[in-house]
Amino acid sequence: MRTATTSLEAAAERHLDDVYRYVLYLTRDPHAAEDLTAETFERAARLWHRFDPARGSAQTWLCQIARTVALDHLRSEERRRRREGRYATLNRQSATAGLESPTLSPWLQSALASLSAADREVIALRILLDLDAADAARVLGISPTACTTRLSRALQKLEEKVRPHLVA
Amino acid sequence: MSPDTPIDERFAELAAQLRLETPAMPERARREVLATTAAAAPPQTGWFSPRRLAVLAVPAAVGLSLALALVVGLNSALSGPRSDNRAASAKPTASTEQLELVAPSEDARDSNRLRSTGPAPTGGRVQDYSATLRLLVDGTDDLSATTQRALRTARRLGGYVVSVEYLTPEPGEGSAAIRLRIPVSRVQAAIVQFSGLGRILAQETRISDLQQPLDDLTRQIRRIQERIAQLRVQLGRPNISSSERARLEKHLASARNNLAGLRRERTEINRRAAYATVALDLTTQEPRQPEATPGRLRRALDDAVGILAAELAIAAYALIVASPFLLLLAAGFFGSRAYRRHADQRLLERA
Repeated sequence: MRTATTSLEAAAERHLDDVYRYVLYLTRDPHAAEDLTAETFERAARLWHRFDPARGSAQTWLCQIARTVALDHLRSEERRRRREGRYATLNRQSATAGLESPTLSPWLQSALASLSAADREVIALRILLDLDAADAARVLGISPTACTTRLSRALQKLEEKVRPHLVA
Repeated sequence: MSPDTPIDERFAELAAQLRLETPAMPERARREVLATTAAAAPPQTGWFSPRRLAVLAVPAAVGLSLALALVVGLNSALSGPRSDNRAASAKPTASTEQLELVAPSEDARDSNRLRSTGPAPTGGRVQDYSATLRLLVDGTDDLSATTQRALRTARRLGGYVVSVEYLTPEPGEGSAAIRLRIPVSRVQAAIVQFSGLGRILAQETRISDLQQPLDDLTRQIRRIQERIAQLRVQLGRPNISSSERARLEKHLASARNNLAGLRRERTEINRRAAYATVALDLTTQEPRQPEATPGRLRRALDDAVGILAAELAIAAYALIVASPFLLLLAAGFFGSRAYRRHADQRLLERA
């Protein structure tokens, strides 16, 4: 996708849900995903003058920003948990219960929650956002081959978790 | 699904299920986000992005270098011929009376049979005469025979051989450097005969006048002889004291020593003047043709290439000096990036 986007507003209109889904899959927290999506677009608004359509689509560019924002969030969360010790452990246990999105079926939420964020993000980029391997690899900072391998591995894990529901 | 790397068919149903249950941003949050994006500055679509500028910098630098070389070359071409022969045109200032140098030329080659002798020693004056003759001979066989002939000629004319250096470094190529002393009265005949041994490539004759120093020496000798005669007269007087006698005898001895030295000097000058030094250089190699004065275009090209070479040298020098720092910077940059990616990946694996 190499269409030149003329305004961030149009790009946001088109890719806002993509960014939200990606961040939600990364964090598993709808509230955090909303905040991080908003922060992503705030940062995008500041950096929009540096966006070069020739180097990639707006969707890829926004996902790269969203990834940086989400990683910052995950890092700060980890630091916070480390500081808070036992409470954090409990909090984490509760957080691993599922991907708390009202639009996802509980069994899919549970299966996704069993995956690592690395697995979930490649699924989000390749399946939900429908990025091709090259664009997804650019967002992840890896090669397209590694991206494809990572996707297969992640889908394999997820498929093992949800197989009974799919068969049903 | 991307057509270039399709997702495995095994996961098609799972992928469809995932796409079916795509979460969406709540409408309230959506409106807030869209409001923040309305005032964003438009993206740059022109050519002046930092990356493009960096990419353009290299060809621009190369173009600038070429332009500089072109300007220097054109300037050189339009500024007229270069005076490269300043050093060569300087006249020798030795105490020679006459210096003649015959460069190889068609005329000189044709004049082989004229038996060029150069200026002759002036009769009646004492002179130091030296001549250098450079001759081309045909091959090493001819070189050997010519060398022998030159030595025989020198002896026949009453001269002698000072030195001979005979070299044949490669088959068919060789040279001989012969130094001869020829009686000055027969040096003209010698040169005539030597010039017939091969094709004259160059001839040089040098004459230094020794008459003046010889006359000075003669005058000094005469004065000392007169002084010695006076001293002898004084010593012959019967009434001189012993101390006066001793003083006069001391002066007499000194004058005799001086006289002996001056006479030796005069003898040496006469000996030098009696024989001319002839340097005969024989070679089998054709002389290289002197390079023609380059034209304007050639000069422009030479100067332009020179400038480019200098620019390349400066660039190479700068690169060599800066390379350790650049390598450190690159290693730091790529190392920190790899570390950051690794840390991100571990964080995502844990999350």
